[in-house]
Amino acid sequence: MFFHIVLERNMQLHPRHFGRNLRENLVSKLMKDVEGTCSGRHGFVVAITGIENIGKGLIRDGTGFVTFPVKYQCVVFRPFKGEILEAVVTMVNKMGFFAEAGPVQIFVSNHLIPDDMEFQSGDMPNYTTSDGSVKIQKDSEVRLKIIGTRVDATEIFCIGTIKDDFLGVINDPATA
Amino acid sequence: MSVEPFNKLVKLAARAFYDDITTKGDNQPKTGRSDNRGIAVVVLDALTRRQWVREEDLAKDLKLHSKQLRRTLRFFEEEKLITRDHRRETAKGAKIFSAAVAATADGQHPTKEGEEKIKLHTHSYCCLDYAQIYDVVRYRMHRMKKKLKDELDEKNTVQEYICPNCAKRYTALDALRLISMDDEYFHCESCNGELVAESDKLAAQEGGDGDDNARKRRREKLRDMLDKLEVQLKPLVEQLTRVKDLPVPEFGTLQAWEARASAAARSNGDSSGNDPSRSSQGLGGTPMPFLGDTKVEVAFSGVEGKGEGIKSEAESTSLKVLPPWMIKQGMNLTKEQRGEIKQEAKMDGSSVAVEFSDDKKSTESDDKKNLQDEYVKAYYAALLKKQQELEEAAKKQQELSNTSLFDGLSGTSSGRQVGMKSKRDEDEGDDVEWEEAPVAGNSNENYKVDLNVEADATAEAEAEVEDDDDVDWEEG
Ligand SMILES: [Zn+2]
Repeated sequence: MFFHIVLERNMQLHPRHFGRNLRENLVSKLMKDVEGTCSGRHGFVVAITGIENIGKGLIRDGTGFVTFPVKYQCVVFRPFKGEILEAVVTMVNKMGFFAEAGPVQIFVSNHLIPDDMEFQSGDMPNYTTSDGSVKIQKDSEVRLKIIGTRVDATEIFCIGTIKDDFLGVINDPATA
Repeated sequence: MSVEPFNKLVKLAARAFYDDITTKGDNQPKTGRSDNRGIAVVVLDALTRRQWVREEDLAKDLKLHSKQLRRTLRFFEEEKLITRDHRRETAKGAKIFSAAVAATADGQHPTKEGEEKIKLHTHSYCCLDYAQIYDVVRYRMHRMKKKLKDELDEKNTVQEYICPNCAKRYTALDALRLISMDDEYFHCESCNGELVAESDKLAAQEGGDGDDNARKRRREKLRDMLDKLEVQLKPLVEQLTRVKDLPVPEFGTLQAWEARASAAARSNGDSSGNDPSRSSQGLGGTPMPFLGDTKVEVAFSGVEGKGEGIKSEAESTSLKVLPPWMIKQGMNLTKEQRGEIKQEAKMDGSSVAVEFSDDKKSTESDDKKNLQDEYVKAYYAALLKKQQELEEAAKKQQELSNTSLFDGLSGTSSGRQVGMKSKRDEDEGDDVEWEEAPVAGNSNENYKVDLNVEADATAEAEAEVEDDDDVDWEEG
C-alpha cells in the first residue's frame, strides 16, 4: 500500500556546499540519501514530493559539517499481509518462485501454487498446468496475495500465495 | 412472534458447543464433585423458559449456588448469548419487578413510600438475546468450516523447512537467505544441507522423510473432520435455516420489558386512571423512561390522536398549496395556499402536545391532577366536536371557493382554527404568529387556555366560547 507521509531527517552538509545554493544542495542530497531506502517502520521511500521545513543548522565541532533537521513529504510503499499485489517473476526453482513488486521481493512456495501446476526443470524452469495453457516462468507477471511479511529495520520480505480465486498469471511474456 | 424455533436453536447450540464447558478455573482439580460440565446446557435451557429473570431467582430455581450461576452467566455474556443488566434498587424496586413478572391483574401495588428503609442492593438480571445468538451460532459455524477448509487447502500457511542433517528449522520468510546459486534447492545456513519442506501441522509430527505421505494423511484427517462436522451439526444448520426468516423475539432492555409487562398487567386489571404510587416514585429512584406510558397519556393521546387525524384531513382538503401557475391576480389566498407558510405552525402544535403530556407526567399526581385530567378530557372532546363541525363547514366553503366569489376567509379561518389549537396546547398565550395571519381573522378574540391553571373552569363554559367563535366564523 502507498502512503504519502511526512518524515524527518538530520542532514549533514559539507561546508563546500554552503553558499546561495545551500538549499538546493541540501534537497538533492536528501533525495540521493533517502529515495529507494527502506525502513521497517514506514516501508520503502519511493519519492520525495516536497520539503516541509528546514530547521536551523548546527555546526559540528572539529569537522565544520553542519547538521540540518529537514522535514520532507514523501510517498512510501509498505506491503501488508492480505494485500493483493501484481509482481514480476524473477526466479523459479523447485521450492517455488520469487517475484518483485517494485522494491519488494516476494517468495511463493510450491505448496501455495495451485496443485495442478507442476514444476518443470530445464533452461527455463517453470510451473505449468498439465494442458500447458498456463505457465509461470521468469518474467511472467502474476497477481498474488501476501500472506506474511518479515520486517527488519532496513528490509521487508514477503511471502505470497497464488492459490486463491483470481490469483495467478496475468500476463505471459511468451505469448505477449 | 414465536419463541419456540429460537428456543430449539438455543438448545441445539447449547448441546453442540457448550456441553463440556466447565466454569471452574483450569488450576482447580477436577474432582468428581467440582466437575460441573453440563451446567451450561442446564442454564441455557432454563433461560429458554424465561424472559428477563433475576439471577438470584434463577439460582434458586435451579438449586445452584448463585456464585456458580453467575460464573456461568458471565461466560455466556462473553459468548454473547445473553444480555445482563445490573442495577441498584430498593426492596421495593425488586417488588415491582416481581409484579411485572407475575403480570398479575391488579392490587399488589408496591407499598407506600417511606414505609421501608431505603436500602439499595445490586441485583442482576439476565435474558437470552435471540438475535445475537442467531448471529453468533452462524458465525461460529462459518469459522469452524473456514478453518478446516483453509487448513485443507493449505491456504495462508507459512511453509516450514527443516534441515535433515542438523534439524535446524526455517520458514518461507527466510527464503531469500537460503537460495543457492548452484541448484534449485534451499540450503541450510549452518551445514549447507539440502532443506526439505515440512508439511504437517495438524497431523502427528513426522520425520523429514515421506512428507508426501504425511501430507496425504493429514489431508485425509482434515477431510474426515469436515465431514463429521457437516453430519453432526446438521440439525443445528437446519434449525438455523428454519429460523432464518422468522421475526426474532425481542424482549428489549430490562426497563422496557418491565414497563411493558406492568402496563399489560394494569390494562388487564384496574383501569382507574393513573396509579400515584407508581408514576411518582419511579423504581426506587431509578429513572424509568418507559413509565411514561401512564394512563394519563393513553387517554390523552386517544383524544388527541383523533383530533390530529381530523386536523390533518382538514389541512389536506382546505390548505392545499397551489402551484404558482395556478395563482392568478385577484385570487384571494392564504399564505398557506401560496405555499409561503411552512409546516412550522402545525409541527409546533404537535410537538407542544407531546411536551405538554410530559409536563403532565412530571407534575405530582394527586387529586388535582385527576381533576385536571377529567377537565382535559371533557375539554378536548368539546374541542374535537367543534373542530369537526368547523371542518365540515370548511370543506363546504372550499367547494364553493372554486367559484370566483370566494373571498378567502373560509380557508383562513379554518387555518386559524388549527393554529389556535396548537396555541392552546402551548399553555402560554404566545400567539404572535397567528395574530399576524395575513387575512385579518374576523374573530379578534384570542383564547388563552392554561390547562394547569383553569382546573376550575368547566368544559361547558369553554364550549360556549367555542360557539362564539363558530358564530363569528359563520358571519365571515
Ligand atoms: Zn543444517
